[in-house]
Parts: sequence; structure tokens; C-alpha cells
Amino acid sequence: MSNAPGSPPPQNTAAMAVELAAITKRFGAFIANDGIDLAVRRGEIHAIIGENGAGKTTLMNILFGLLQPDEGSIRLNGEPTVVADPAAAIKAGLGMVHQHFKLVPSLSVADNVFLGMEIRRHGLIDHAAQIARTHELSKRFGLHVDPTERVGLLSVGIEQRIEILKVLVRGARTIILDEPTAVLTPQESRELFQTLRSFVAEGMTVIFISHHLEEVMEVSDTVTVLRNGRKVATRPTSELSKDELVRMMVGREVSFDRRPRAQLHGDAVLEVKDLWARDDRRLPAVRGASFTVRAGEVVGIAGVAGNGQTELAEVLSGLRPASHGEAWLKGQDLTTLSPAAIRETGLAHVPGDRMVRGVDRNASIAANTLMGRQHRGPWSRGGVLDWKAIAGNAGALIKSFDIRAQGSGDAVKRLSGGNIQKVVLAREFTNGADFLLIDQPTRGVDIGAQEAIHDEIMRQRAAGRAILLISVQLDELAALADRILVMFNGRIMGEVAGDDADEDRIGMMMAGVSPELEPAQ
Amino acid sequence: MSDRLRAVSGQVIAVGVALLLGAIIILMVGESPVRVLMTLLRGAFGDQEKIAGTLLQTTPILICGVAACIGLRGGMFNVGIEGQLFLGGFAAAWVGFSFSLPAGIHTLAALALAIVAGAAWVAIPAYFRARYNTNEVVSTILSNYIAVLLTSYFTIFLFKRPGGWSETPPILATAYLPEIFSFSRLNWGLAIGLLLAVGVALVFRYTSWGYGVTMVGSAPKFAEYGGVNVKRQGFIVLLLSGAVGGLAGGVETLGVHHRFMEGFAPGFGFDGLIAALLANGSPVATIVTALFFGALRSGSLLLEVDTSASREIITVIQALIILSVSAQVLIRRRGDSQAGERRWKF
Repeated sequence: MSNAPGSPPPQNTAAMAVELAAITKRFGAFIANDGIDLAVRRGEIHAIIGENGAGKTTLMNILFGLLQPDEGSIRLNGEPTVVADPAAAIKAGLGMVHQHFKLVPSLSVADNVFLGMEIRRHGLIDHAAQIARTHELSKRFGLHVDPTERVGLLSVGIEQRIEILKVLVRGARTIILDEPTAVLTPQESRELFQTLRSFVAEGMTVIFISHHLEEVMEVSDTVTVLRNGRKVATRPTSELSKDELVRMMVGREVSFDRRPRAQLHGDAVLEVKDLWARDDRRLPAVRGASFTVRAGEVVGIAGVAGNGQTELAEVLSGLRPASHGEAWLKGQDLTTLSPAAIRETGLAHVPGDRMVRGVDRNASIAANTLMGRQHRGPWSRGGVLDWKAIAGNAGALIKSFDIRAQGSGDAVKRLSGGNIQKVVLAREFTNGADFLLIDQPTRGVDIGAQEAIHDEIMRQRAAGRAILLISVQLDELAALADRILVMFNGRIMGEVAGDDADEDRIGMMMAGVSPELEPAQ
Repeated sequence: MSDRLRAVSGQVIAVGVALLLGAIIILMVGESPVRVLMTLLRGAFGDQEKIAGTLLQTTPILICGVAACIGLRGGMFNVGIEGQLFLGGFAAAWVGFSFSLPAGIHTLAALALAIVAGAAWVAIPAYFRARYNTNEVVSTILSNYIAVLLTSYFTIFLFKRPGGWSETPPILATAYLPEIFSFSRLNWGLAIGLLLAVGVALVFRYTSWGYGVTMVGSAPKFAEYGGVNVKRQGFIVLLLSGAVGGLAGGVETLGVHHRFMEGFAPGFGFDGLIAALLANGSPVATIVTALFFGALRSGSLLLEVDTSASREIITVIQALIILSVSAQVLIRRRGDSQAGERRWKF
């Protein structure tokens, strides 16, 4: 409580506010952070950018003491520091604004800000002083709030300001914001950026996690790019262009061989017309997408993760309502149908969120292969299941899809990621659907299984299926897709033929620059 | 298979820990745990009348347990079984004393209305759950109080038997559930409970519908993706759970009390829920756990006669079982989650 903002900063003159050296963090076999070095200068806005799952949040949780690194060390203001827990981080002048807010809805703004460190007078909470102090801080940094309002009545954008105020009164000189703009409207984002600039103007330091290019370009002084748990580079923002950033984020490591393109295209199987949909925050995520997928071709959707691909897949599979537009499959408008009816019409879906959507981890392989066909013969007669037939079929699938398991009774959670994905493919590719919606088929899958999965997708194309392949891996799309559509900010920016999938052009579109070289906004 | 073994051993350890703690408490009140245990065993299984008495206590716990299992299977926590049991009990009594029907048909009609009453009572929380995603735990708990007081109101103000007690007129003999032995009130309700437990287990295992419901309970997003209507199945599962809860009340009225009275079946709904949790939601395993709780209840009758421990010690032990079983479940879940993920902070 002694070192409130504005009071003289702790006496140190080190140029670096934060130095992380060779930070490694493993979760089981998964390496979330792999030897990451990071240096943040005092008084700068330092953006950390990367796709979902690149390790940004893990790294910041380590810095803030929420996680302990397996290897590596931390220096704060030049001093070697062990950040044992968040309390130690706060003591060292760090503050963190999380993605999910932790406020008490029934208390006032000022009470929330001072929760746990109330200003007291004669042993009682001095509300007047708390309100005055909150008011003063909010004015100074452009964080407009009414200190007496009850938090339950306020919008998310204002809740975020309260979280920032909480961090300020606890004396933070280095403020970490985890995807702060994810919950904000564009207007609120601009106001937030103003606030961040006023922080550095007072000599404070800001670390800002994001996967949105524009805002990073707009607000940051320095950018660090993470990819797959590794640091790609740290560069001054002014020296970077958007498409350079995209390339660093998406990477170009494993290069697949290009598969032969489809020789013959059949009729249009899926026709999407001016489709719009909202995300979970009720903001538009798909904005007027239109495209066609024909029988016997693979249409790829490229884009930095989080540009509406997930929502598009959910709308096409009936898991999310469309707010506008149509998607025709075999004479039926998918936007009007339930997930069951869409499957009946002819959809096979390999979901991007495999472990949650694609399988029941605790159930057996046999039970997992039954989903979606539990009302159909020969697995079910008159509503009664024939487990012998189901297990027999699962055994055959295990063989033909080369799933490494003891038998169809194995629980799916005992399998490796690649084999779990093969269970999903085995179920979906054998249900006789004409349209395959395949989302991130090889994410988190080892190289051997990747090849097998790609072979299987090619077999499906040869069998005349219409395939929509969503992937954040450009090389995967270049290997498999006959045409690639690039999505940015919910829009389809343009189309390239798979054969001339040149990374610069696609990268430009992924960064929001349309092929005619006009900015997308 | 090893998963199942792990689950069973976990529950057994949890009960063991609870009994151990119970023993310590018994020591603290100055009684010998061994003596209490022997008395309990004698009270529950000492002779054929005592065994019949235990089975009599087991019956409503078993049926309520099956009701809870149905909900749990579909991911629904029906904590309102107690209330459904009260309404079912009253509905059956009403049919029993208001109409005269041939024997057998009278019983079936009374049980049918008990089932309808239980389902109707849970329909309100179930609707709010499906429509507005209200937490069914809270709404079903609260509905218990209304059900208990509502049936009291019916009993005292609308259908009170002339005379001293707060109870309805007795039901006609044509509506009785027949007794199995001459020496006990144990009746064919036990058979209903056993058939129900096995039947429900078979339906969940061997029907397309049961498969969908099981998936809704264990992996709702997967079920939704596969085309199962998660909300509708949740609604149906709660209704069925409430129906069986109502049936439990009907069986208790027609088989044991032959009338409805205030507080006629205290705590059976909750005991059933605990039995189902201890059985990991398996209806067949609930037969065993319901017997365990039935034995505790019936054994405790001897406790105050033969030892200096009070009957409430059984309530204490039950509470300890709830605590240790829930702790056990949480610990096992933590083991399941990704290694290193900090889910619970101690």
C-alpha cells in the first residue's frame, strides 16, 4: 500500500524491467514453453504475439508466479528473483490483468478496487477515501468509471478498467495484459490503447499479449513472436510489416510434398452464400462468407487462428446459429437444420477441438465410433444396440485406419493424439457423407500420423467427396488443397489455386491486405 | 476394466476412511466402536425379522437411488428426489382412499399417479434448466421444501382424517402392495426396486437412446456434435428421474404406511442420492450401496437400546461418507486432468 502509482518508483535504474532467461515449462509430454528468452525494456509497450497455443499465456503466468518454470530464471529490474506466487510478483511491482475477470458483482467499483487492501479509518473502511482515490486514478489514466456504481451493472469493457485500477492501486510498475482486447469493442480498444500510452508516459512498462496484428502494430514499441512454445524473434515494431509478422507467427517449418491435384471436379455440393455469424461474445465473427465446394475437390481455408474459421465450421455443422445467409447442401439450407438433421443430410465433421468435440475420452473406441449412427442399422435394431456388431466394426476400423490400440474396448484416453484423431477420422469418413468438413486435422499429431491422415483425405477426395479443409498450417493447405480461400477478420479475402499457393501472397491476405493491394478496413 | 477397479477401490477406501473417522468419534463419546459395530450388525442382520426390517428400509433408498442414477447418467443432479417422493406418496394415498377399484388395478393406478406426480413436480426445474440453463441443483433442492410443506397442507387442511394425527384417511386394502412375509411389513416394493435397477442399467447399456443420454452426461459437447439434442435429453432425463422418485413415494405409501402422513419418509430421497453417488451412478451397484444405508438405518434402532451411543451417530457417519466420497471423486478427477494443470489449490 505504500508504493501507490505516482509515488516515487522503487530506487532502481536497470534498463530492463523484466528479463526471462531460457524459460522451459512442460505439461506432461507437451512443451508449452521451450527455452524462451525475453527482455522487456523499462518504459515500453512490449507485445507478445502468437497463435492460440503458442505459449503466450503460459509464459506470462510463469512471470506472474501462477506457474513455476521447469527451467530458466527471472530477473526483475535487474535483480534475480524467484516469483514463488502472485503475491511475490505484486510485491516486486508486477500486475496482471487476466482474460477472465475476478470481480465481486454486488460490491461497488471502489470496493472492488480496494478489496483485500481497504483504506481504514478507526478500524472501519473509509469509503470516501477509497472513492476519492479511485476517482483520481481513473481520471489520471483515462479509465473512466463511476467509483460508486455496482459492478454487477457494468459492461465487460468497464470491468476491465476496474481490473486495471486494481493492479494500479497495488503499486504495479509493470503491467501484464492477457489478450485485453478480446472482450472489447473497437472503440473501447482505442481507449485502452490511450491508457496504455499514458502508463508508459509515466515511466511504467506494459506487456501486452495478443494474436491480433493490427493492434500490435498500432500500440506496441517492441514485438516478441512466439510459435509452438518457442521464441521466433524480438523486433522493434517500426521495423516490421504485417506480413512479416504473419510469417513469423505461422512459420514455415515442415514442408509437405504437394499432392497431385484433383483431375475432375463434379457438381457443387456445398454452396455458402453471404454467411454471417457471431462468436460467443456476440460479436460478428463470420462476415459475409460466400464460396462453393464441388465434389472431388479439396477447398482449403487459410488464416491466422481466431479469424472466424472456428465459427464458420460450427455454423456449417449446426453447432452455432447463423445470423444471416445460407449454406446449401443437397437442396437443404444447413442454417435451418439441427446438428442431427445436418448429419442426416450428408455431413461428416472432423472437429478442430478434437478432445472435447471429437471424442468422449473416457469411453471405449467402440463407443466412440458409434456416435452419430446409434439410431442406424446394423448397429441398432428397433432402438436396441448390437454391441457385437459395433465392436466388430470398430475392430475393422482399427485395422483399416491403422489405429494403434489393443482392441476396440480400449478407452480413447489411453491413445496418443494421432491415434485419437484416427478414431475420429475412421468414424467420420465411413458414415457415407458427401461433404467432409475437416478442421485442423493434424494439429498436435506426430509426423507419421500426419502422413497417414493426409493419405486418407486424398482417398476421400478420389472417392468424389467434397472436402472443406480448415487449417492454420499453410504447408498443409498447399499440400492438399486444390483451391485455398484466405480468411481474415471473418471475411474471405481472396482465393489462390493450390498450385500457386505462394506464401507471400497468402500471408498478405492473412494480414488483411486484399489481393488488389488495398487495406481491408 | 482397470478404470472400473480404480473407481470401486476409491469408493471402498472412501467408506473405510469415513468409518474410521466415525470410530474415532464413537471413542470420543466414550463408547467402544467394536460394540457399536456389533450392535449395528445385530440390529441389521441379527435374525430373519431384522433382515426383513433392513430390506424394508432399503427399498425406498434403492428406488430413490435409481432415480438419482437416471439423472446422473444424463449429467443432471436431481437433488429434489425427497420432494418427488413426498408428492408421489401423497398422490398414491389419494388414489388409495378416494377411489374404489378392483385389487391390483387399484395398486397400479395409485403407483401410476405417484409416477406422474413425481415427474410433474420435477418438470418445473427441468423446464427452467432446458430453457434458461438454470442450475438444476439449486432449483431441485428448493423444490423439496415446497413439496414437503405442500403435502403437509394437503394433509392437514384438505384431507385430514378426523381425529388426532396429521394424516389422511387410510387407503383401501385393494390398493395395498402385498407383504412378502407374515412377520414383517416388507412388501413387493423391494422387487419393484430390484427390477427397476436392473432394467434401467440394461436400458442405458443396450439402447440407442441410453447411449445418447450417457454421452450427454459424460461428454456433452461430443454428444451435441454427434447430433444428440442435449437440452431435450437433459429435460427427459430429469422427468424420468422425478417419475421414479414419485414411484418411491407411492411404494412407501402403498407398501408400508397405508396412508399419507406428515414426515412419512424422512431423508430417503437424500439417502438414495448418496447411495447413487457412492455407486458411481451405476443402478446395479446402487443395490449394494442402498442395502448398506438401509442396514445402517435399521441397525441404528438397536443402538440406543444396547449402547450409550445415540442414534444420531449414524447421521454423523453418513455425513462423513458424503464428505469422503466427494473428496475422493475430486481427487480422482484431478488425477485425470492434464498433469501439471493447477485445478485445485490447497
